[in-house]
Amino acid sequence: MSSYILQRTIQMVIVIFGVVTVTFFAIRLVPGDPARLMERPGTSEEVIKQTRQRLGTDKPLSVQYVNFLKDLVRGDLGTSFRGNRPVREAVLEALPNTFALGAVTMVITTVLSFVIGIGAALRPNSLLDRIALVFVAIAQATPSYWLGVVLVLIFSIRLGWLPAIDLEGPASFVLPTITLTISLMPLLIRAVRQGFIEALGEGFVRAGRARGLSERRLLFVHVMKVAAIPLITLVGLEAGYVLGGAVVIESIFNWPGIGLMALLAIQQRDFPVVQGTVLAIAVVFTLVNFLVDLTYAALDPRVKY
Amino acid sequence: MNQAEILEVLSAKLHAGEITRRQFMQAAAFFGLGVGIAPVAASAAPRQRGRTLQPLNQEAGEVRFLIAEAFPDTWDPYQHTIQAQSRIQEQIFDTLWKIESTDISQLTPGLAESWTQVDDVTIECKLRQGVTFHNGQPFTAADVKASIERASGATAEETVKALSMVPTTVEIIDDFTVRLKTAEPFAPIYTEIATLPILSAADIQPSSDPSTPPAGLETLKTSPNGTGPFRLVSNEKDRKVMEANPNYWDGAPTIQTLIWEYIIDPQTRLNALLAGQAHVLDRVPPEHLPVLQSNPNIELISNTGFENVNLWMRMDAPPPWDYANVKLREAIMWGIDRQAIVTALVQGASEVSVTHLPNHGLYAKPQEPAYTFDLERARAAKAEAGFPNDGEPELPLWGVAGFLPRGEEVAEAIVDSLSQVGFKVALQITDVAAIIDGLFSPDKPGVFFHLSWSSNGDPNAALKTLYHSPGAWTGANDATIDELIDRGNATVDQEQRRAIFEELQAYLWQNLVHIPLYNSDFTIAHVKNLTGLIALPNFSTRFHKAALT
Repeated sequence: MSSYILQRTIQMVIVIFGVVTVTFFAIRLVPGDPARLMERPGTSEEVIKQTRQRLGTDKPLSVQYVNFLKDLVRGDLGTSFRGNRPVREAVLEALPNTFALGAVTMVITTVLSFVIGIGAALRPNSLLDRIALVFVAIAQATPSYWLGVVLVLIFSIRLGWLPAIDLEGPASFVLPTITLTISLMPLLIRAVRQGFIEALGEGFVRAGRARGLSERRLLFVHVMKVAAIPLITLVGLEAGYVLGGAVVIESIFNWPGIGLMALLAIQQRDFPVVQGTVLAIAVVFTLVNFLVDLTYAALDPRVKY
Repeated sequence: MNQAEILEVLSAKLHAGEITRRQFMQAAAFFGLGVGIAPVAASAAPRQRGRTLQPLNQEAGEVRFLIAEAFPDTWDPYQHTIQAQSRIQEQIFDTLWKIESTDISQLTPGLAESWTQVDDVTIECKLRQGVTFHNGQPFTAADVKASIERASGATAEETVKALSMVPTTVEIIDDFTVRLKTAEPFAPIYTEIATLPILSAADIQPSSDPSTPPAGLETLKTSPNGTGPFRLVSNEKDRKVMEANPNYWDGAPTIQTLIWEYIIDPQTRLNALLAGQAHVLDRVPPEHLPVLQSNPNIELISNTGFENVNLWMRMDAPPPWDYANVKLREAIMWGIDRQAIVTALVQGASEVSVTHLPNHGLYAKPQEPAYTFDLERARAAKAEAGFPNDGEPELPLWGVAGFLPRGEEVAEAIVDSLSQVGFKVALQITDVAAIIDGLFSPDKPGVFFHLSWSSNGDPNAALKTLYHSPGAWTGANDATIDELIDRGNATVDQEQRRAIFEELQAYLWQNLVHIPLYNSDFTIAHVKNLTGLIALPNFSTRFHKAALT
């Protein structure tokens, strides 16, 4: 197991290194000179040159890259081109907000999806199953940015029950969480339903029933073990998505998270902040998937590391 | 196939045993990262704030204003041209006199109680007594001298403000009397001084060593110290919190806490206003006007802004788009249905441009021909320019996304119209950062750029930077334009000055230095119980006398 963890850690470092490298070069190859953006219209080329020197963007890409890596190894993500704020500090401030929204969303999404999916699988073609499938179809076809705006219109503007934007307290979680949950649930409900239908048709279920096992024990112990294991991967991927910054949702609800931070940084060509936020997203995503793998091994006796 | 469908297919394959879990992870991880990163790259939108907000405290006189433009990285008011920053500066700093009406020639006293034009190059000002800066320091003539001389380029330090001024020295007669002097007559001095914040001399006093910046300048960049009605108490990148200055010479503001916050997504701004989480928002997009107009709790302040939206042209472009080939530009003017763009797309208080000055700016005069949409005349002008056939010449046009209201739709409408004229339009839509990069690139890509220029309404501010040589933004180099701008700026007599700028407008229209499209709508929406808010065509937005009732 320890050699597996070591191996996966090395793999993660390589993936993260790849992501930050691609980001480093991609953001610099996109047109848009940060020095030009920071200076006034009509600024002389001499002043623009000095600004580039100050930002370090006048150096060859290779030199900038080496400097970036050296700083990264020391844990220094640099300072924002705008405001001179340390990027690490800004990222660490935004991450908990994203994590909080992501965690709440994933708990609710997972619980609801399993309840609905299992319910539908137990009685295929029943009313519940049909309602679940209709919900899945509608939810899957509903863009989250549209849904978010509609929810705000109803619950914030018309009814005045909930905040429309910002993170002001527990009530602020409701609308972004519902929006995210509805966008994430369809895939999981379908996967749960399909997985349980298939598992319920396996021979071990018939054997269990023949041995007189209760339906509850059969379902929540034996079937669950078989059907749920592949779903962990799916849950992990969805968790990686929301914990890495659900950009559109953070934008609609003005949520002070990592995704929103990345968006503005790209708009302003704030290279250090773009790199810092993408690094954070990459680390979160790979870590979540690593944890999924470990969970997989813990749950499935056939998986040995 | 969208992202959810891809995941579903992968998931089904995993369940069916067609792929291993590792293969699933590899494929989906790639996709999963894309979920996080792709929208980031695809969108040139919103904003960041790593902080938990406190709810609005309306009872305590807290007002939240959501704006559509980011703040720059400095509070030094002489070193930027960012509109949002100029507007927030009006809350924190004072000027000698102010423009508080739609008529920019009407000035109201500020830190100067009165002023007299002594001769063509001298203005004597009597300063207000008993005024203090936010740090408690008393305001005197020394502050006026330090501020105006630094801003106008009369010191060794280069400033952005100096680009629209001439070096102006200040003679101190006594602690509360000064004389502003220019080496030659400079007529726009009144509108320029009206937008020149007065700083504390202690913040900007030159040090004994000319190569060393003033001691307080670094502080000034982050901690503005003005005499204005509000003082800055929190300086986050996208959110500025101000508190009322209880000792303000013109009466303490009723609003106790004023928050200016940058939220670029207009839908998010609208949601916040309608849900009661903000009191004011600016740059209302046309699609939101019906919603706001029908809401009994919301009021709108609409102006036709001093902002000209043009197809900017590289005035140093090579043939066939060289400056001398005006017939091609005439073909463009006849070939764009500017009225339809205003009526159907831009809407609000926007107006078709009738001159290269802002339509309602100083000395603006409608020009002839009016260039109403006429495909036949457009085709004739194109043929006269030597391009009778369809598909020639190629017209390189850059549009910008996420900047001008409905900018992409306007650019596409222009492409459609000009294609009917027979041009082969090569449209490139990009974001603000890239278009600025392209504009200044040594390779000089593109010829026409769908961009805007806002000003204080005086011809100097509206025209000089764009059309006077050396035109950093446009490559302008026309001796007639230079001479008329210089002469107009040096002529103090108002009627003579008007005549000069009317001559210049006729010349600009005749040569179509840019393709003028429309003057922008500038609409502010605010909750009905906020009274006393001032919003002007020069985008000035003043909260000093506003109050929540």
